[in-house]
Amino acid sequence: MAVNRDTISAIVLLLICGGLAWASLDIREPDYGQLSPATWPRIIVGAMSVLCLIYLFQSLRQGPDPKNPDAPKTVRAFLGYWKNVIWCFVMFAIYLIAIPWVGLLVAGIGFVFLLLTALGGVRLAWLHALLATIVVGGMWAFFTFGLNVFLPRGEWTGF
Amino acid sequence: MEWDTVAAAFGQIGQWQTILLMIGGVAAGLLAGSIPGFTIAMAVVLTLPFTFSMPPEQGLATMIAVLVGGLSGGLMSGILTGIPGTPSSVATTFDGFPMARQGDPGFALGLGVWSSFCGGMISAVMLVLFAPQLAQIGLEFLPWDFFMLVIFALTVTASLAGANLIKGLIAGAMGLLIRTVGEDEAVGVGRFDFGSDYLLSGFDFIAVLIGLFAFSQLLADVRDPAKATRALTDMGAVRVRIEHRRAIRELLKRWVVVVRSAFIGIFTGILPGAGGSIANILAYDQAKKASKEPETFGKGNPAGIIAPETSNNAVEGGALTPLMALGIPGDVTAAIMLGALLIHDIVPGPTFIAEQPVLSYSIFIAFFAANFIMLGLQSVMLRVFVLVTRIPMYILAGCILGLASIGVFALHNSLDDVHTLFWFGLLGFAMRQFGFPLAPMILGVVLGNVAEINLARALAIDTDLTLFVTRPWAMFFAIIAVFSAVFPWYQTARARGDGWTRYYAPAMLLAVALPLSMMDGLLRPILAATSVTIALWLGWRALRPSKA
Repeated sequence: MAVNRDTISAIVLLLICGGLAWASLDIREPDYGQLSPATWPRIIVGAMSVLCLIYLFQSLRQGPDPKNPDAPKTVRAFLGYWKNVIWCFVMFAIYLIAIPWVGLLVAGIGFVFLLLTALGGVRLAWLHALLATIVVGGMWAFFTFGLNVFLPRGEWTGF
Repeated sequence: MEWDTVAAAFGQIGQWQTILLMIGGVAAGLLAGSIPGFTIAMAVVLTLPFTFSMPPEQGLATMIAVLVGGLSGGLMSGILTGIPGTPSSVATTFDGFPMARQGDPGFALGLGVWSSFCGGMISAVMLVLFAPQLAQIGLEFLPWDFFMLVIFALTVTASLAGANLIKGLIAGAMGLLIRTVGEDEAVGVGRFDFGSDYLLSGFDFIAVLIGLFAFSQLLADVRDPAKATRALTDMGAVRVRIEHRRAIRELLKRWVVVVRSAFIGIFTGILPGAGGSIANILAYDQAKKASKEPETFGKGNPAGIIAPETSNNAVEGGALTPLMALGIPGDVTAAIMLGALLIHDIVPGPTFIAEQPVLSYSIFIAFFAANFIMLGLQSVMLRVFVLVTRIPMYILAGCILGLASIGVFALHNSLDDVHTLFWFGLLGFAMRQFGFPLAPMILGVVLGNVAEINLARALAIDTDLTLFVTRPWAMFFAIIAVFSAVFPWYQTARARGDGWTRYYAPAMLLAVALPLSMMDGLLRPILAATSVTIALWLGWRALRPSKA
């Protein structure tokens, strides 16, 4: 049996459908209302499961993925191929964790600076720092003073 | 039309703050549209958080300005570099770039700019004329009809994924499912919360949209380290003077192409899920077929620029029509507009134009005004565009990610929304990599509540499930949904020359005639009779070759 990318994603989706169908049993059934809160999610999960099964059969019929000479073959090559995307996610995750401690202004400037430097290299670090300060600082000032939106302050920094 | 309402709407749009915001919006849209890799939907969705503190009229006018600018921005890079700025301007490059290389870039740009303007204006007129009429029809809809309309919208959108119909349908279902997470709106019961307060409060759908569309797109844009650090184009200094007079004369000479392409754009816009990316190719194809000199297409034929640029700007008037009349967005950008209305607790539907006349007319006026602003700004933005294309993508992506997170936080002053942005960025990126179309998912997220509420209302009125397919309008939408679901197979089979495909159109017309004949009034039964006549004629023609 030929396993391809679509087969894997169909199996993952079917597992998610199974999990959600199971989770829908935990939805409380109140004594009032015509439509139970669980009905609509169950209809969708049911329809999605059927679609995923069709997707699975389709993917099994289509055979293995065509050979891609550029596809990374080792873990190192894989990390190299997705390097930038991984940087974006890791930086954003750190940014989210840092906001409550250092505030949105500092975390935002740090995030943009580090991300730009990770993606573009340290050679232009001064430009990245300048851009990060202007872009995030400008937007922070616009929201704080222009729109009177209180952006999160840091527990450590106080602003 | 009440003139005091129109005057009040003019008063709203005519405020200097609104005009300034619209100028800024059109300029931003022109730039976003001209940058290859950026999409119009991304530009509009990123504008959304900044409009929440504005009055609804001002916020929507700003977003419409970004939208109109974005629709026209793609032509600059398409004509000057041969790389379309957006999928909506792919066909513009077929003749625009050759014309520019032949030494006539000013004329090519002039044709593009004025065609965009004409397309926008014709579709604005149609929006003003047809949205109230469609809303009148919408007043006939009961919950069964609305529910089936949502199903129809999702099916059509998924079917536009072509060979990936199943993936499109799965994406639509995922969108509906995302909307069920959190407290049920009717009775307040938690669903799929797994004991987490974050999940119990549900996902803010604006954050979901920005994550799915903008975050994931930016990640895709910087995936390749070499491309990410290169300037967007290698275009050097450009000194082009847009030739307005010559372009206007050419457009007047080819007014049939303009009108036909505008109607193709409007019709494509009204269809849920179909947008400028389809309209510009369709219009180009029709212009080529109708031309007396089709061999000159691809070599700098003016009609090859006029047709796609007119149609892609006409799309949005079409897409806003079902949004304003029925509350059902015609494409992803209209879905984001719906989000902007919901931020201000305004739920569009058949009564929207009657209940919110000033806001409705403000939208109409903003649409007209944005087209005029676009016309004035193109020349200025051409210079800025040349500068922006020298910036590497990673700088734009990094800065926009930072800005998007601040904007999303400001929606509800909640860090949870920024977490939502992150997770849905990841999901959107994974879906892109596995070839799932995002448009059905976005529509699913936007229309999930509409579907559930109408399902609940329908069952509260009557538990008879057959009403979902026996009421005339519900039956009408169900029939079109089925035929649109079959459409991708029909296209493949037709290319193979399968015999059954000759009966597809007659069968659809016959099927549609049934609900039309059941409707009240005189016009719809006449339409049903016409539909049956055309179906019989097509069927007779389809049978003839098999006899021979």
